[in-house]
Amino acid sequence: MRLGLLLAVVLCLPVAQAAEDLTLVSWGGAYTKSQILAFVRPYEQRTDTRMEVLDYNGGLTELRNQVRSLNFRWDVVDLEMSDALRACEEGLLEPIHKHALAPAPDGTATREDFLSGSLTPCAVGTVIWSTALAYDPARLKQTPTRLEDFFDLERFPGPRGMRRTPKANLEWALIADGVPNHKVYEVLATEAGLNRAFEVLTRIKPHIVWWDAGLEAPRLLDTRRVVMTTAYTGRIHDSNRVQGTDYQLLWDHQIWNIDLFGVPRGNPRAKQAWEFIRFATATERLAEQARHIPYGPVRRSSLSRLTPNEREHLPTREANFKNAMQIDAGWWAKHYDRIRPRFDDWLAQPVQVPRKLPR
Amino acid sequence: MAATKIIPVLARAIRGSAIYFRLVLLALILPLSAQAATEVDTLRTEVEQLKLRLDSLEGSLEDEVQAKESASESQDRPQTPAITIGGALRYTYAWRNFEPNSDAKLGDVGLDLFRLNVDGQRDNFLVSAEYRFYPYMSTLHHGWFGYETDSGAQWQAGVSQVPFGLLPYASHNFWFGVPFYLGLADDYDSGIKFIDKGEAWDLQLAFYKNGELGNAASSNRYSYDPIIVSADNTAQNEEVNTFNARLAYTFGAGRECNHELGLSAQAGQLYNRQTQRHGSQWASALHLDSRCGRWNIQFEAGRYGYQPRNASGVSDNTVTLGAFAYPYAVASRGSFGVLNFAYNLPVAPDSVDLITCYNDFSVLGKDEASFNDSMVNTLGCAIGDGPLFTYIDLVAGHNMIFLGSGSLAGGGNNQWETRLNINVGYYW
Repeated sequence: MRLGLLLAVVLCLPVAQAAEDLTLVSWGGAYTKSQILAFVRPYEQRTDTRMEVLDYNGGLTELRNQVRSLNFRWDVVDLEMSDALRACEEGLLEPIHKHALAPAPDGTATREDFLSGSLTPCAVGTVIWSTALAYDPARLKQTPTRLEDFFDLERFPGPRGMRRTPKANLEWALIADGVPNHKVYEVLATEAGLNRAFEVLTRIKPHIVWWDAGLEAPRLLDTRRVVMTTAYTGRIHDSNRVQGTDYQLLWDHQIWNIDLFGVPRGNPRAKQAWEFIRFATATERLAEQARHIPYGPVRRSSLSRLTPNEREHLPTREANFKNAMQIDAGWWAKHYDRIRPRFDDWLAQPVQVPRKLPR
Repeated sequence: MAATKIIPVLARAIRGSAIYFRLVLLALILPLSAQAATEVDTLRTEVEQLKLRLDSLEGSLEDEVQAKESASESQDRPQTPAITIGGALRYTYAWRNFEPNSDAKLGDVGLDLFRLNVDGQRDNFLVSAEYRFYPYMSTLHHGWFGYETDSGAQWQAGVSQVPFGLLPYASHNFWFGVPFYLGLADDYDSGIKFIDKGEAWDLQLAFYKNGELGNAASSNRYSYDPIIVSADNTAQNEEVNTFNARLAYTFGAGRECNHELGLSAQAGQLYNRQTQRHGSQWASALHLDSRCGRWNIQFEAGRYGYQPRNASGVSDNTVTLGAFAYPYAVASRGSFGVLNFAYNLPVAPDSVDLITCYNDFSVLGKDEASFNDSMVNTLGCAIGDGPLFTYIDLVAGHNMIFLGSGSLAGGGNNQWETRLNINVGYYW
């Protein structure tokens, strides 16, 4: 009888001690799935924490709203580098906790193990991801071999998919117009350079189908709405792996970026959030994520755990990395608020006579 | 002793689980009990139950991950609501040189329309409807429900736009052109339509039971059809059982310059309510719609014919069409032509969204030698900025309906008349 009582007490104990829920907001689709499998689910199992995973399409509007209203629905946010830098400048993120990160298994300090630039004052890098060009070889008469082909409607006729953002698109427009990688931001910083980039985009604008969420890019190819599209490389790999498609990636002038985890400033669950980040950015967890989506882990120790086969589709593979350009997150953090309204105006201004004016 | 043997079994069974911690604690407590040895069987049962519970929890965890993945995938889809509501409020300024009062007052301003739109898609099912309120009538503009196949082909049932000639409009201006007033452009009827549009080919087939209202005695409609005016022997015909086919091919699809070349055909019956006999009606057209950079050139040439079965003594040379609460006669047979030029001006980034200027010309040659030809030319610009859209049109008509005493049948003053039309609308 007494044993039964003890059993009941013991079984009830951990339920009362269950950790608080955490909410991770990320980019959805195959990317979020890789995070769930690599560290969200293991973290739940290890800590009895229940994690909510939400999707968003970037930007700081919602983060600003939550921090300013002290009404926190997000605990850990997956941010693009430029957003992370801007958010940090605006005081929207908690500074990295001194002991937030786990060292490498061989004892290498985190500062040395994380790739240069992947640790910022307010956010911790996780993966190097890349935007490149994807196409369906079955729908093109010849194979595109360089970035310029994306902007060549005569040799490669057909609609193009592009992410609805000036980031990367303006850089590609200038590169396709002959500007070398290292001069892109210097040119883009001038009014003439900005005009030049928009003029290049304007040439193909009537044939652009815009996408917002990452999963839409392979879907545009699935539904034959475009013959080529810019895409997160991991999404194309995932489509080929899961759906059996045969979409090809053109890595020429791929634009890579770093995703980071940050914690909204003032969040009462910040301590738990940093515990999760420490777990999720540990060597084995980041290596595990790369096994589910071919994005490069930002830790050297994680990269060394991947087999050559697992590294083949990473943006950081040597053959894929030729001509690669890192998006200048600092530049975008400084210029985004000026360029975005112009981009939106440009979007609203058709090039061709519209087929259907309001009647 | 028995308890210590059970601990590794428990550990193997539940390693990796949060319950592991609970049972280790339980195992530490067990030796403290003097009755432990005698309750091994009971404990084994408990352990079995715990293992079952663990399996259940693991299963739940799998379900939870699946649910998270599914939620994630579904949220990654474009966030478009199933139904969107839109509409417009428009006002018109018009100055007419052929109306002395309008001329003296330098024109009039008034409500053009208030309209509501509903468009939606759920899975493969579609719906689209628009209802318009004019100061002098209210009517359904279009209203159909549809189905989109996985290959992208579409079926529409209800009141839909008739697939004929230049689509969606045979003009750029607000006032339209000759084909619209003949019921051969932007026409809507009740029936079923099939659309299969590929990269270059565009095939549309349709069968329309009748005009959009199902009541040929009413001219309170948006698009022109043969209508019945009860007290008029010459206006007793209505179009029924009409087949439409339109095939177009775009040369240079996906390139900077592309040219749509198309053929359209329409054939159906013309029922005379007075004689209760079926006549016939047909039309055909060839069109070219070229877009190159900021330029757009539209061309259309066609013929049409009505063979009414009128009462004896009633001329077959005209039929009566009606819309916008106004019936008028048109020649029973004729040829029509359209030639439109438009240019989309480049605009500064922080200015308006769109300025498209155009010159639209259209003509009707009537087979009846005693009828004067009709023509209309509209020079204008359309300016869009956010929800505001404005047309500024200078309309010049020669023997054109609604411009002086012009007529699309016989009669008319056979001279040029002018109307300045400015239409300002807020669209949402």
